[in-house]
Order: sequence, then structure tokens, then C-alpha cells
Amino acid sequence: MYKTFLSWRYLVTRRTNLIGIVGIFVAVAALIMILSIMTGFLEQTKAMVRGGLSDMVVLPPTRITQGPYRQDHLHTALDLLREDERIVAASPRLTYYAMLGLGGSRSYIDRKLTSDPTHGGRSVVEVVGVDSAGEWRLASSVLAANAALQGFNVEIPEFQDEQETSGFGPALRRDPHEDRPRATPVPFPEFPFTPPRGYMPDGRPKVACIVGEQLFHSLYLSVGDEITLVTMLPTEADEEGGGGIDAIKRAFVIAGTFRTQDNEMDGGRIYVPRAELADMLNDGRDYTEIVTKLVDFDTDAVALKADLETRLGELNLLDLDGPGGDPYPGQIRTWEDFRASLIGAIQNERVLMAIMLSLILVVAGFTIFSILTMMVTEKRRDIGILAAVGATPNGVLCTFLLIGFWNALLGSLLGCAIGVLGAIKIDTIEQWLSRTLNIQIFNRDVYYFDTIPSRVEPLPVTLIVGGAFLCTLMFAAIPAWRAGRLHPLEALRYE
Amino acid sequence: MNASDFTATSVAGQSAPTTVREDVLVASAVRKSFAIGDRRIEILHGVDLEVRNSESVALVGSSGAGKSTLLHILGLLDEPTEGSVSIRPAGSDQMVDGFGLDPTERARLRNAEIGFVFQFYHLLAELTAVENVLLPAMIAHGRGRYRKLKRELTARATEILVEFGLADRLAHRPPQLSGGERQRVALARALFNEPRVVIADEPTGNLDTATGERILELLFAEHQKREFSLLIVTHDERLARRCERTLFMEDGMIQADTSLPMPH
Repeated sequence: MYKTFLSWRYLVTRRTNLIGIVGIFVAVAALIMILSIMTGFLEQTKAMVRGGLSDMVVLPPTRITQGPYRQDHLHTALDLLREDERIVAASPRLTYYAMLGLGGSRSYIDRKLTSDPTHGGRSVVEVVGVDSAGEWRLASSVLAANAALQGFNVEIPEFQDEQETSGFGPALRRDPHEDRPRATPVPFPEFPFTPPRGYMPDGRPKVACIVGEQLFHSLYLSVGDEITLVTMLPTEADEEGGGGIDAIKRAFVIAGTFRTQDNEMDGGRIYVPRAELADMLNDGRDYTEIVTKLVDFDTDAVALKADLETRLGELNLLDLDGPGGDPYPGQIRTWEDFRASLIGAIQNERVLMAIMLSLILVVAGFTIFSILTMMVTEKRRDIGILAAVGATPNGVLCTFLLIGFWNALLGSLLGCAIGVLGAIKIDTIEQWLSRTLNIQIFNRDVYYFDTIPSRVEPLPVTLIVGGAFLCTLMFAAIPAWRAGRLHPLEALRYE
Repeated sequence: MNASDFTATSVAGQSAPTTVREDVLVASAVRKSFAIGDRRIEILHGVDLEVRNSESVALVGSSGAGKSTLLHILGLLDEPTEGSVSIRPAGSDQMVDGFGLDPTERARLRNAEIGFVFQFYHLLAELTAVENVLLPAMIAHGRGRYRKLKRELTARATEILVEFGLADRLAHRPPQLSGGERQRVALARALFNEPRVVIADEPTGNLDTATGERILELLFAEHQKREFSLLIVTHDERLARRCERTLFMEDGMIQADTSLPMPH
């Protein structure tokens, strides 16, 4: 009985204990907050970089995509993919890179973009030709409705397009970033390539394109503007053995913007209809990859990837062994493969941060160690008195260990509560601090997040609290053991 | 003060009680030596001592004679190099060898059968007067039992302190008490578990004469009332005279065992 009673009394009457409790509390709270922010950051980044990516991409070799039977191969591959129960949808896509030109009254922007090193790369965009089945669906349903009126039953075929296989659909429907008021999402996401309202072409109407919100914003573009995509196309070797490069260009009209939340995509991607891009390139290719959406990426991705590699390999649609002289034998990549280095870097950063911050716990443990060592020295006479009135050596040890226990318990619990609360309210705290100190602590433009991401996960919080508790108890055990070993007479003689 | 002073006084005093009482505390051939470097210093050279039930014994002697060392060994706080110390627990026919027990059992025996009163009070500064008195009971009982008995024990501690004239000092902490008040609290603590033996080491050594006298009156009154055996180490001749027996220590041995007249 006396152990709990005395340890608590020592705790509340000796203010030095407060330092120990505060030390543990700060360490635990800081660890929880930092790890929660890092976890939130990782998740947000994953979601962000996944934004425009599909779950899994099949990249057939060029001999397939450029060969004479490319359409047959495409349908074989699409059938195979669409029949798999683990795949929700699959659609072909054509990707190419091009330079962006505005021309006309905005040629000064072109000059700036092509000659200013600070804008390096900004004029090069990834042109993605995608399928949009909205019109087909509409036409089919109208047809089916008409047929039904006339007493026929027409089954509407299933269309699978880019909106179902990648982040294209959500990117079209996402609200613009609040710092980019000029961004203008397309009015009908189901029909994304509808020319803008009031489009008055000067000559032949241009096909619509959808521009990344950040690119749109940085180039001061507007809906209805015409932009020109310029790219180069290698030609076959001529008779003398020399190769040629042709420059090709095509103008598009901007129908609206999309927002994936991935800086790289929103600042450097343009969606156009796949057929239009194939027509522009006219190099015998009308798709470069097949994008797929999985039912459950986390569960199926690894097995499905291996499965597809085997099955597409058997159909001769993938040359994974690398023969045939094709420098690009084809491959299957998941969205994580595309962003492996970024995700890996953040994960590493999180682990490193946790390790470094754990040192704070050790420091807090040392604080407890020194406070208790000081207390054992200060309370030597008390230890003698306790022995004289019948306390056992183990009883004395427990009394001092319990002081460490209270420190650990209060510090950890308080740290847990404040840490979790801080992690949840980090945005409010940051805004208050920014206002109070008149500095911008979190630049939302740099990270492209509207709020500081933070996610409190029970397991890390439990591990941190448990770790802090055990660490403190371990540090407290040494002085407590010394107190238990103290000879009662030496203790009594101490003045 | 020396042995002859006490012999002279005893002649003029009353005779010692004649009834034969059982031994409560027995020390046999107790030796204690310390090693300092290569040298071995022997403090106690084979002390034999019996303290009987309800008896008051004064242990006197010059500084360095080994009184305190003997007292600590008798109180089971320090182990002898040789010899044994036995205690008869309350309600038992058997003597228990204190140093034949493991440290935990020895601590329990000390808690139940021995009460200490120190010259410097030795109260815990963080506890109130009542809590200091309750400390031996807290140690004696487990958490559950203590909780059950807490009300009763607290009432008893309060009662003793009130009896000792500390009614308005119950919730005071030692630094808020005078020397005499502290010693009364220490005395109450020593008596709280109703030990068979109370060992007092210069209980008035740190007090002025008047306060010391009041403490002694209290101590001897309780001794009469509770019938514990009292062993006092003192330099004070008048205090020694109040005890039934006086043991004179010199050079680590008991040189004289004299029955002294009771002053009142």
C-alpha cells in the first residue's frame, strides 16, 4: 500500500517530476504528430500521384502496336483483360509527347517558354489520346429506346473507356484548386471532348482537348483558345541509309481543364481523343498501352500482374524474355511502379524521421533517469527511515520504480492525447501560428495540398505510447534498483 | 559519565523488580568489525544481552563505545559479523533469530516487533503527522487490507496524536512542527504497530531540557501503559536513572549491568 501512496506523494510534492513528465509528453506528442503528418503526406501523395494513373498498364511491344495486325492484337488483349474477374475495365490509350505553342497574339508566351530556362520543360507536354464512350452510350440508349417503342428489344453493348480505367473521370469532375480561379472544368464530363460553347472556328473546326489545370493557369489559357501541338516523327531510313525526322503539328481547341492533384500531370498533360492523335501522328499506331482498373488493387495486383504476363506472353502479345530484337519488348506496370521512387522516398523519410525522433524519447528517458537518481540521493534518509519502520528492499525499489511509472504513465497519456489532438487539428494550429507570427509556415502551393495532410493510425500511436512507457520504465529501473540496494544504516546516517 | 557513577546512584536507589519476566530480545556473542583497507576494526567484542518483557533498559557509555552499533544490530538494521539476535514475537513461545531470516522476513519482523525513536526524529517530510504515524501500518498491511482498515487505523493514529497533545497538528507536515512535536509524532509512529520492543537512540538529544523532559514523561508513561520493552541509548544520567536497568558500554563490551532505582 505504502509504495503507491508514497510514490504518488513524492511525485506531486517534488516539482522536478514535472520536468520528466513534460519531457515524455513532448517526445510522445511530437512523435505522434510528425508520424501522423508523414503518414497523411504519404497517403495524400499516393492518392495524388495515383490521380491520373490507372491501376495497371499493359505496354505491348512496338511490333504489336505498330504491326499490321495491331487491331486484332488489341481486341485479343482487351478481351482477355475484360474477361478477368479481377479487372473492372480496360481501355486502350495512345501517348505521345509534343511541344505546346500558342501563336498569334500570344506568341510572346511561346518565346518565353522556349527560351527561358526557368520555364524549361513547361512547353513540352504529354499528349494522351483517350477513348470517350459517352457519345456511343448516348446513341445506343437512344437507339434502344426507339427500338423498344417499336417493340424490339435491343441490348446495349458495354462500353469501357478512359473514364472507367484511370483517374481521368474523377480529374474531370474535381473542383478546381482555390488558388486557380481561372481553371474551368469541362461542362459535361460524360462528353469531355465537346467543343466549348460559343466556339467560332476560324476555318475548319478544331478537335477539343482538355488541359491540365496548372498548365492552363500558368500559360494564361482560356476555354475556347486554340493551341498547337508540335511534335517530331521519325521516318523510315531512306535509300542512302540516313534517317529522317518529320515535324508535324495540329491545332486543338481547349474545352476545359482537369485536376488530378498530381503536379506533374496537372502541369504537363493534355487529353485529346485517341483517334485524333492517331490521325495526327499517322505512323501506324493507334494505341501504345492498355490501361486497366482493378477490383481490388491491394489484394490482386501482384498475382494479376504475374498472371497477365504469362497469359499475354502465351498469346505472343508480350516479349518478356526480350528476344526478337525489339528494344522495347513490352511490360506490365502497376501505378506504384511508375511512382516507386517517389513513394519509396517518402516511406524512407517517414522511417528515418521516426528513428531520429525516437531519440527524443531516449532523451526523455535520460531526464527521468537523472530526476530519479537525484531523488534517490535526496531521499536517502527517507529510504533509511522506511527500512527502520519495516519496508523491505524490494518495497523501496518498487516505491521508486512507481515514481518512474507515474512519470511514464502521465507523460505518455498526456503526450498521446495532445499528439492525437494536435495531429487532427494541425491545420488550425498552423493557421493560428501563421497568423500570430505573421509568417507562412505551410506553403500550400509547394505541396499542392489544400490542408496539411495528417492521418492518425492506431498502431503507430500505440507503439509510440507503449515504447515511451517502457523506455521510461527502463531508465527508472536503474535508480530504483540502487535505492533498493541502499544499506538502511548508510541511508539513516545521510544528512 | 562512567560505570562508577551509576553504581553509586544505584546504592541509594530502590531495588529492581523481583518478578521474573521472559526475555523478549536476546543478543548472544555479538561481534561487529569493519575492514578499512587492510585493517580490521572491531567495534563490538562479543556482546551478550537480554531485554525482558516490559523492562526499561538504558545503554550508556562514552562516544565510540559501540552503543549505536549495538542498537542498530539489536533493531535488525545492521548485521553482526558474528553472533545472533533473537526476538520473541508477540503471542509466541519461540524466539526468532532475526538474522536467520531473509531480508524480507527480517523487515516484517522489524515492522511488527520493533519501534524506533531517533534523535533526529526521522519523519518523512512529504507526509502529514497522521500519515507518518500510519506508515508502519501501511507497510504491515497489503493494499486491500489497508483500505478495509484505513478508517479504523486513521482514527487510532489520530487518537494517539491527540493523546500526545497534537490535536491541532494532525494535518501538519514535519517542517511545520517544532522539535518536541516532531519527536512526539515519531514516538506515536514507533508505538503504532504495538511492538514488543521500542529502541530509542538519544530521544532527547536534539531537544531543550524542558521539551526533552516532557517527551521522556510521555515515553515512560506509554511504557507503563503499553508494557513494551524499552531500550534507550543515552548520555543523560537522569534519563538512565529512570530505567530499571543500565548497561554501561566501554570498548565494545558491556562492562556493567546495573539495576537502577526508578525515579518515580
